Amino acid sequence: MSAPAGDPDASPVRVLVADDDADIRDLVEFKLTQAGYAVEAVPDGISAWEAFAANPPQLAVLDVMMPGLSGIDVLRKIRESEFSTVPVLLLSAKSRDSDVDTGFAVGADDYVIKPFSPRELLHRVNGMLARAR
Amino acid sequence: MIIGAALLVGATVVILGACVLLILAVVAVRVRRHSRTQRDEMLLSPLRPPLITVASGEDDDGAAAEQLTWATGVSRTVLDRNIVEMLTKIRGVPAEQLVHVLEVHGAVDAAVAQMSSRSTVKRARAAQLLGLARAGHTVPLLVEALGDEAVEVRNSAAYALGLIGDPAAAGPVLAAIGAPERGLPAATAAEALQSMGVGISDVLRDGMADPNARTRMVAAHLSGERSFTRGLPELRGLLDADPDLTVRETSASAIGRLGRSEDVGILVRHTVPSEPLALRRACVIALGDLGEAEAIPALAVLLDDSDPRLAELAATALLSMGPDGRDALAGHENDPAVRSARLMASLQTASA
Repeated sequence: MSAPAGDPDASPVRVLVADDDADIRDLVEFKLTQAGYAVEAVPDGISAWEAFAANPPQLAVLDVMMPGLSGIDVLRKIRESEFSTVPVLLLSAKSRDSDVDTGFAVGADDYVIKPFSPRELLHRVNGMLARAR
Repeated sequence: MIIGAALLVGATVVILGACVLLILAVVAVRVRRHSRTQRDEMLLSPLRPPLITVASGEDDDGAAAEQLTWATGVSRTVLDRNIVEMLTKIRGVPAEQLVHVLEVHGAVDAAVAQMSSRSTVKRARAAQLLGLARAGHTVPLLVEALGDEAVEVRNSAAYALGLIGDPAAAGPVLAAIGAPERGLPAATAAEALQSMGVGISDVLRDGMADPNARTRMVAAHLSGERSFTRGLPELRGLLDADPDLTVRETSASAIGRLGRSEDVGILVRHTVPSEPLALRRACVIALGDLGEAEAIPALAVLLDDSDPRLAELAATALLSMGPDGRDALAGHENDPAVRSARLMASLQTASA
């Protein structure tokens, strides 16, 4: 899988991954790391917001249903923050049209439904970052 | 008096004793579960890196999958359980590689054998595994399980058939809804049928003539949901004459999704006051979904309906029909129904 485009000497693009499911968290972290991203993975919404606020990443992958703060709550906070333009991809088992509508209405840049293809997820992350540059 | 006091003390002692035993039992179960989880984590720990490598789609040379196939004994059992769990989360090539590991481990064959287990839990889990493994050759077995005595197994079999997605199973899934004593929940059947592609349209048409109302309802709903226009004649027939009100409402909604301009007439016909209120409302919503200008005069009349909700739905439908629809609201601007419809429309626009 191709690494993210850019200057090879530049520091890697940072991605925040938040999911309370260790399987998903580990495999997304592994997938994105293999692709050359610097990944910070956290297990809940509160940690996600703390990590985002402490050191805003260039992109965030958020699970929707997490303990504490949901992915939607974290996204809302991101959109209200001074780093509101950071691209956010929501990853969720909630697959109804109304769930997807809510995600985009709150400001998601993309919405991936579980079960998902890790390869497709990487393509979407690459695309979002390319458009954000 | 003394006997009464002794009985009271005795009963208290018995109750306290039972409480202590209950607490001990809960603690024992938790300790056992905790130690089992720890054991599983320990056994899985060396297999976790290759599992994540395969699941993430980074096992290009197949080495990690190969490593997973070597697991034996309890480690293999624990790994297979984790693979099944993982298959609910990912799809694509990584999922196929994990299914291959299950096949090498004999887990798919074992699941086939467990479909005749006396344990309900084992049968339900086996059906789930066969679905997640997309084991197409087990469709007849899963179809048979749609008539299982336990609803958990019937649900699991329908779920599995949906995952496998073979349209040949659509008929049995739909028929299972109306099975006497051992019926399949309509929602479970609908979910399974949703995954079976376009090859199920004829099955749905036949389902709309089924003697069971829930079967007809699911067939009508899915025909609209999946935009199977070939089912329109059957949907019109159900809306006109079905003895079940829910089936008629569902048919109206489906016609709203996939109907044509000639369907305005039939929908309008069922908005008259002599029809049940729920059906009138469903037809008004369907007219809005259909979006045909021919419906505007009839909807405008309904703005004065004695049912405030129906009037509001008519206003909502007109608002969704462009300038001509909005023009039809002239003179009704201050009606509570129109104001409410406008407010809802603006809220929806703001949140979109």
